[in-house]
Amino acid sequence: MTLLRVEDLHTHFISRDLDNQIRVARALNGVSFALEPGRILGLVGETGAGKSLTATSIMGLLRPPARVVGGRALFEGRDLLAMPEAEVNALRGRDISLVVQSPKSSLDPLTRIGDQLIRIHRAHRKASEKAARERAVEMLASLGIPDPARRMAAWPHELSGGMAQRVLIALALMNAPRLLIADEPTTGLDVTVQAQILDLLRDLVRRTGIGAMIITHDLGVVAHYCDEMAVMYAGAIVESGPVRQVFANPSHPYTANLIGATPERLRLGGPRTVGGPPPNLFRLPEGCAYRDRCPQAGADCATPPPDVALGAGHVARCHRVAA
Amino acid sequence: MNPVLQVEDLKKHFPAQGGRTVHAVNGVSFSIAAGETLGVVGESGSGKSTIGRAVIRLLKPTAGRIRFQGRDITHLPESACRPLRAEMQMVFQDPWSALNPRVRIGDLIAEPLLLHTKSSRSERQDRAEHLARRVRLTTELLTRYPAELSGGQLQRVCIARAIATQPKLIVLDEPTSSLDLSVRAGILELLAELKAETGVAMMFISHDLGTVKLISDRIMVLYLGGMVEYAPAARVFAQPAHPYSQALMSAHLPADPEAVLRRHVLEGEIPSPIALPPGCHFASRCPVAVPACQETAPELRAVHGDAQHQAACLRIAEGANRIPETAHG
Ligand SMILES: Nc1ncnc2c1ncn2[C@@H]1O[C@H](COP(=O)(O)OP(=O)(O)OP(=O)(O)O)[C@@H](O)[C@H]1O
Ligand SMILES: Nc1ncnc2c1ncn2[C@@H]1O[C@H](COP(=O)(O)OP(=O)(O)OP(=O)(O)O)[C@@H](O)[C@H]1O
Ligand SMILES: [Mg+2]
Ligand SMILES: [Mg+2]
Repeated sequence: MTLLRVEDLHTHFISRDLDNQIRVARALNGVSFALEPGRILGLVGETGAGKSLTATSIMGLLRPPARVVGGRALFEGRDLLAMPEAEVNALRGRDISLVVQSPKSSLDPLTRIGDQLIRIHRAHRKASEKAARERAVEMLASLGIPDPARRMAAWPHELSGGMAQRVLIALALMNAPRLLIADEPTTGLDVTVQAQILDLLRDLVRRTGIGAMIITHDLGVVAHYCDEMAVMYAGAIVESGPVRQVFANPSHPYTANLIGATPERLRLGGPRTVGGPPPNLFRLPEGCAYRDRCPQAGADCATPPPDVALGAGHVARCHRVAA
Repeated sequence: MNPVLQVEDLKKHFPAQGGRTVHAVNGVSFSIAAGETLGVVGESGSGKSTIGRAVIRLLKPTAGRIRFQGRDITHLPESACRPLRAEMQMVFQDPWSALNPRVRIGDLIAEPLLLHTKSSRSERQDRAEHLARRVRLTTELLTRYPAELSGGQLQRVCIARAIATQPKLIVLDEPTSSLDLSVRAGILELLAELKAETGVAMMFISHDLGTVKLISDRIMVLYLGGMVEYAPAARVFAQPAHPYSQALMSAHLPADPEAVLRRHVLEGEIPSPIALPPGCHFASRCPVAVPACQETAPELRAVHGDAQHQAACLRIAEGANRIPETAHG
């Protein structure tokens, strides 16, 4: 069974302005993707595209004024968005884990890391203090943390960025989840540390068959560690498919532009890469949201673009793409 | 031709708690010619920013010699450094905090002209418009405030300020790290253009190996404040000689799924710059270290007789510097 299937997810920020008029920011506009067990999906897109919001929407972690206004998020066939809150809470931290962006701020600064690991385990699984402690030490060791028994007593502020990130991943894995969502798990870390952490994640997925979604804006991470990728623009997936295929044949003009802007493809002194301001979520244009920035836009782009299947699970949402 | 910048055996130490010393930079030597871009790479804390700030004399060096356009500026007093700043400029990582939020963009761009030239108000205004166009900002932005611009636009403002006085050297400390890919590409294109047109020398500091590879002519690899390798950019990526460079380059993830990775995983953690080990600073983590490495600090030497390619490793001479690969995937 598909581990996670997100269908047409819409999340809005609904607020009132000074004149008491309702203002709606359409931050997610029909996000759809699927993740199979034992696979790694990379979710990419520029800042503000809605990557983190996709994760928090699925996990039921939105705070007002953000609200899911449509769509489904099926975890092993059950819709997380329609479940009673108690059930979602029971799944979260046990069967589904989220590693949030910015590692330092998400560790409890007043609790030793060992106690944090033990606490999350015992909150969700029946385990003695001793068994939980043993599992915590094992988990730290398996994440390549030297001298794990001693590190259990460390305070968060004593950890380097790379160590803090490993501890966060250890926390996420303590309860052997079946789905792991990691939001920018290696951003800001040195490349050598990044590679180690991603190696660990990939080994874990291959060994245990869990499914993982990595949110990143680093296409190098996607190219080498993900099986599938989904490209997000203005709150929608504009292209998705197997990584090699999307890189070899980027079909949505936004994807082509994004991949063309990587240092590997960029030709300094060649034709200019088109950047542009991010779209205004309060006033998204009708039809394709990329229209204003798109070099290939035409009159038909004012109507909603179709999802065009390009074979082997490769899909692009664009009027210009021929199947 | 004389290099724009010549640095010999530069050291910078900071005082630390308990009377101890942080050995941030431990004897680096390099030069940058007009029109040349030197890339500086190394892990966090390896001394990149400290070197950048020392060479334009925002910091006072502990030892060594810095020559700028042939002139020894190592010990210039602060008052004499100020006029020099018209000729050597710096661009920082975070454009949001680099600019005064209460000053209009036009005045921000004109500020270096006010500080360093005797131009009239209207001359400065003309020049600011010219500079804005030069970095591809529309002139309507000149009357706005920083909060109304995007990160990429603000970084262009910082670059416009840096080139306002036609400097001979610009130190760029992670100038594109906080920017989105397509915005970053635009900035890199701009820098390449400026370099070709003005012949300015650049020192480009970055964690992003792909970007450094693209923009640099030569690259210097740092480990714990020391230079371990110094070579043309393509060489450092294709044939890194120092074991640390090999490990660092192998961790680079090019945005191309077909690129083959040769992964070398390093064990252990970087030693503290307060208690530097004797001998080669990398020896404690080096897979090919021998006892001699712990004793003698290796000097930069030409690799296989190629003066362009230098590395500091005892094991190169015996051809024993290659570290083993681990399989990827
Ligand atoms: N209170 C709010 N009202 C309106 N829009 C909001 C509000 N809070 C966030 N947003 C918007 O929601 C969008 C989704 O943001 P999200 O954090 O998911 O982006 P992201 O893709 O994770 O970006 P990054 O790469 O910077 O982490 C952004 O465009 C943001 O501006
Ligand atoms: N003002 C200071 N006082 C004390 N120590 C300092 C000071 N500035 C830098 N250091 C230390 O000097 C060393 C080199 O720091 P530097 O900022 O140059 O590294 P970097 O290579 O730029 O790192 P990053 O990639 O994180 O920017 C570090 O150990 C740092 O803690
Ligand atoms: Mg985010
Ligand atoms: Mg720095």
